[in-house]
Amino acid sequence: MRSNAKSRRSSPSQPLRTKRALRWLLALIALVCLGGCAMQAVQPWQRGRLARWDMRWDPDPLQAAMNQHAYFSKEGTSGEIGAAGGGCGCN
Amino acid sequence: MGCPCALHLETDAEPIARAAQAAVVAECTRLDRKYSHYRGDSLVARIAASAMAGIEVDAETADLIDFAAALHAQSGGLFDITAGALTRLWDAQRGRLPDKAEISAALAVTGWQRVRWRRPFLRLAVSRMHLDLGGIVKEYAADRCAQACRDAGAVSGVIDLGGDLALIGPHRDGSPWIVGIKAPRASGRAAARIELPRGGLATSGDYERALIIDGRRYSHIVDPRRGEPAQGFASVSVVAESCLIAGAAATLAMLMGVEGGGAYLRGLGLPHLTIREDGSCDGDIVRVA
Amino acid sequence: MRPSPSLSLLIAASAALTGTNAVRADETASEQYVGYRFNIYGEDALSAPSLGDPRRYEVYSQQFLLNSPVGDRNTLSVNATHEVMSGSSPWYVIPGPDNRPIQVLSGATIRDHRSAATVALTHDAGGNDTRTFSASYSQERDYHSTALGAERTLPLSSALTLGFGGSFSHDRIEPFAAVLYDRIQRAEKNTASAFASLSLVLDRVSVAESGVQIDYQSGYLSDPYKLVFVDGTLDPDTRPHRRGEIAWLVRYRRAVNDSAALHLDTRLAANSWGQHSLTLEASWYQNLRDGWQLVPGVRYYSQSRARFYAPFFAAGSGPDFSSDYRLGAFGAAAVNLNLRKRIGHWELSAGAERYHASTGYTIGGASAADPAVVSYTRVFAGLDYHFD
Repeated sequence: MRSNAKSRRSSPSQPLRTKRALRWLLALIALVCLGGCAMQAVQPWQRGRLARWDMRWDPDPLQAAMNQHAYFSKEGTSGEIGAAGGGCGCN
Repeated sequence: MGCPCALHLETDAEPIARAAQAAVVAECTRLDRKYSHYRGDSLVARIAASAMAGIEVDAETADLIDFAAALHAQSGGLFDITAGALTRLWDAQRGRLPDKAEISAALAVTGWQRVRWRRPFLRLAVSRMHLDLGGIVKEYAADRCAQACRDAGAVSGVIDLGGDLALIGPHRDGSPWIVGIKAPRASGRAAARIELPRGGLATSGDYERALIIDGRRYSHIVDPRRGEPAQGFASVSVVAESCLIAGAAATLAMLMGVEGGGAYLRGLGLPHLTIREDGSCDGDIVRVA
Repeated sequence: MRPSPSLSLLIAASAALTGTNAVRADETASEQYVGYRFNIYGEDALSAPSLGDPRRYEVYSQQFLLNSPVGDRNTLSVNATHEVMSGSSPWYVIPGPDNRPIQVLSGATIRDHRSAATVALTHDAGGNDTRTFSASYSQERDYHSTALGAERTLPLSSALTLGFGGSFSHDRIEPFAAVLYDRIQRAEKNTASAFASLSLVLDRVSVAESGVQIDYQSGYLSDPYKLVFVDGTLDPDTRPHRRGEIAWLVRYRRAVNDSAALHLDTRLAANSWGQHSLTLEASWYQNLRDGWQLVPGVRYYSQSRARFYAPFFAAGSGPDFSSDYRLGAFGAAAVNLNLRKRIGHWELSAGAERYHASTGYTIGGASAADPAVVSYTRVFAGLDYHFD
């Protein structure tokens, strides 16, 4: 009797688990789709804003260099990505 | 194009002049056939006919529609190529003012947001919708003609398509062309004479194609949100890298009115001249005596 | 001269029709301009107990930049910097009453100079395919550094761009008064770096970049002017002869409307000396009327201490030890503001930054109160001229 009850309890959970897994998979597919669609949708003429001066990684290279120099001389592990310039006695 | 067109060339070689002239005539004819909404066999007419069914357009038309879509977004909906039905209501050739019912009927078939545009497929969601690319095709044609002349070997000259100018190249001695900006409401007289060193000059205004009723002029540039002609500026002229950009800037400023349009032009940083309905001028365009 | 934001939109929209190539997101326009900056850096007096000449450290910097197209597809950039430094700097730390650390400052308030130049040549094959080669040289009375670098950007698709590169630098140190103070007389260090990044157009208003950088240093990595208090005696600052570091960087740019842009940068780093750090930066580029631009920004930085760091040491410590606060745990918060104005071909800029460092700002807290953590204020002004 006991073992019977156990098996009865466990059997309906099987399709439930499958359902949950399926839902996750659907969500994942939807996400991937959204990502893919979003990327395809940006046409060259729509990139006007991205091409703006203030959208560059470093709009003002002189300012960025001086900021980095100040931080680099005060901090142990700060830096930027990219080819390193000349080192200095400050650190 | 429904407007006076002129080609000014400076060359010693007659074959170049002839080739350039032929190229300009061919290009103007081609674009007129394709985009004029006065012609029943134009592409614009075919788009209107296939309204709800949808149509696949060629690359050039798609580029023009993309540009129009960008202008619609950048002007907050003021620039709208679906305003074709409205434009027709205010057309000079109609000879009378539209009534309220006609305007609201036209507004019902107006609105870029009602168009499904997935390049190269275009579908109008409402029947009897009309596309009007007139606001950009003339300037585009001027740029194309100038390029056609350069391709034909011309280096010095100006194309004038009804007041919208595109530079082929400066005078042979390198000096810029002196061109006139037409004065509104005084046909034939120049409001200003300026040097055109590069690109193009475009003027948007309520002359040329304006509807005149009881002495009052109604602009053919219609605000698609209200259904009535834009008010404030009598004309806006802009100099830019291309006639197309100059024309877009002038049209957008015209639609925005005196305050918004003036600020927009200053923000663009392009040389411009605006003339109000009372005749007063403004702008930073450099005039020559 | 670069076009205004609204004109950029018109140009981009008309690109297909006018036959010009569509502008790409992260393409650096090859513009011709010269720039000059003047920068004054002044450190606060130490708030913790200290001994010695308390002359505050100051740096006056001048920068000059020339950016110019060379031929059709190349851009040459020449950057020169000159700095004058003066003031006293942290020397060593001694235990005070109750073992509270007391910073001893160097008495020397010598004026020193640094001159540096970087030359970079970028070849743009079009469509985000670029190659950059750079060479740098920096010279001080006691320090010489030479660096060479190369990097490449490569479009993987219309939305995705790969960047990678590497650099190598060789530094030579010849401390002054070496014999008098029993310092090392001549030493060298080498640094090799490699990095790779992916930048992605997310949508029509935002781009993001994620990158990894690896640095490897070898040679003399200590500070020849710093001493360490070890059980009553002063020994030279002694650090390992090797250091490896890895950093992960994420950057995000978003055009908020036609007149503003948001910049977010974050960086995580860890090195073989046991230090790890976090940097967060945000700035807002606000375009105003009549060519004005206002750029406020905030920055937060936190680092943990190196394995061999302490304010002072007990007997039997070593072999490596350092009391340089830059190897200790601390955090720093900074705010900055930059104002620009464009007048025709000219662009004026002015700004200031306040940088406040404290052991109390450290993520997870700092065990020892370090007396030498430094706060500073910077002001800067500049003038650029854009040809065209």
